[in-house]
Amino acid sequence: MTSSPTGNGKITLGEIFWVFFRVGLFTLGGGLAMATVMRHELVLRKRWYDDKAFMAEMATATIVPGAIAVNLAFLQGRRLRGRLGALAAVLGTILPSFGIILLVAWVAAPYFANPKVATFFQGCAVGVGGQLAFAGYAFGRKLLHGRRSLLICSLGLGVVAGLRLHPIWAVVTTGLLGFLLYRPEAVPMPADQSE
Amino acid sequence: MFTTLVQLALSFALIGLGAYGGGMVTIPLIQHELVDGRHWLTFAEMARLVAIAQMTPGPIAINAATYVGFGIAGIVGSMVATAAVVLPSLTILAWLAPLIDRVRENQRTKAIQWGVQLGVVSLILFATWSYGRSVITDGWSLAAAAGSFALLVALEGKLHPMAVVLAMGLLWLVCF
Repeated sequence: MTSSPTGNGKITLGEIFWVFFRVGLFTLGGGLAMATVMRHELVLRKRWYDDKAFMAEMATATIVPGAIAVNLAFLQGRRLRGRLGALAAVLGTILPSFGIILLVAWVAAPYFANPKVATFFQGCAVGVGGQLAFAGYAFGRKLLHGRRSLLICSLGLGVVAGLRLHPIWAVVTTGLLGFLLYRPEAVPMPADQSE
Repeated sequence: MFTTLVQLALSFALIGLGAYGGGMVTIPLIQHELVDGRHWLTFAEMARLVAIAQMTPGPIAINAATYVGFGIAGIVGSMVATAAVVLPSLTILAWLAPLIDRVRENQRTKAIQWGVQLGVVSLILFATWSYGRSVITDGWSLAAAAGSFALLVALEGKLHPMAVVLAMGLLWLVCF
């Protein structure tokens, strides 16, 4: 698991860092967009390992909470060079967005008070509203099948909207309900995560 | 200062732990923790942050951590918040990855994961409601949000969601 998959052990930490840095720098959008680019770099270009190995790590990355891109980088880095490889991959993935956001906070922040800029972001926010509705629609269409799923989803909604508890409790509640209400052999299948 | 940093770390650790199933879930978490809970951001600041996060590379949770951390405690704050947002999941991965590899195909695990994904749907629906209620202030914004939704549904897979966000920003610049 921690040995180099190609068997020659020649992949350096620097190489790992740079590959993930590129992935982090050039991927806009969510975890899945980034996973596609990562696969392109690691499987197709570098041929560090095959699709099967990549998809196994992808499945693990989606089970654990947190940004899928970062989880995936950790697992891929670990597969390449153990813990240090994981560290190099995570740093490579995070540093581009960290740097760019710092730059924005530093350089662009004074312009936020400008009425034109404020108007622009007001419009953006409306677009994000539509995007949230779309995410709800896309997820819901894929996952809400049958009474049980509707029940679980409504109870999750009740936890955040009705009881006003922390959103984490909604996820804990519905996870538990999934465990209780779905008999092991009857779990609906397409459980991939997309945005 | 130290207390602030600890609070910052705790908030973002919770956001990191709750972010399950993609960037959209991060929005209700940020709103709950930072806008309603700690009052570190106003709603307008959060909306701006989300828009910026979408136009820059990287996961929304990380962009938010860096940005908010910087606003609250400078460079140190941005480093603390960014570390805090990724550490919970990386710790789980570091300690449990071999175990996860073993239980991943287990049907019980799949049942839990299925339930958690339904929870993600409820969070996104809730976020649509609470976010939409703050953003939609008149007929124009209602029409524009509905239009963005319709456009994304009609051109699903062909249109990058960020394009709609940018387009609405530009539309607002031209019209208001």
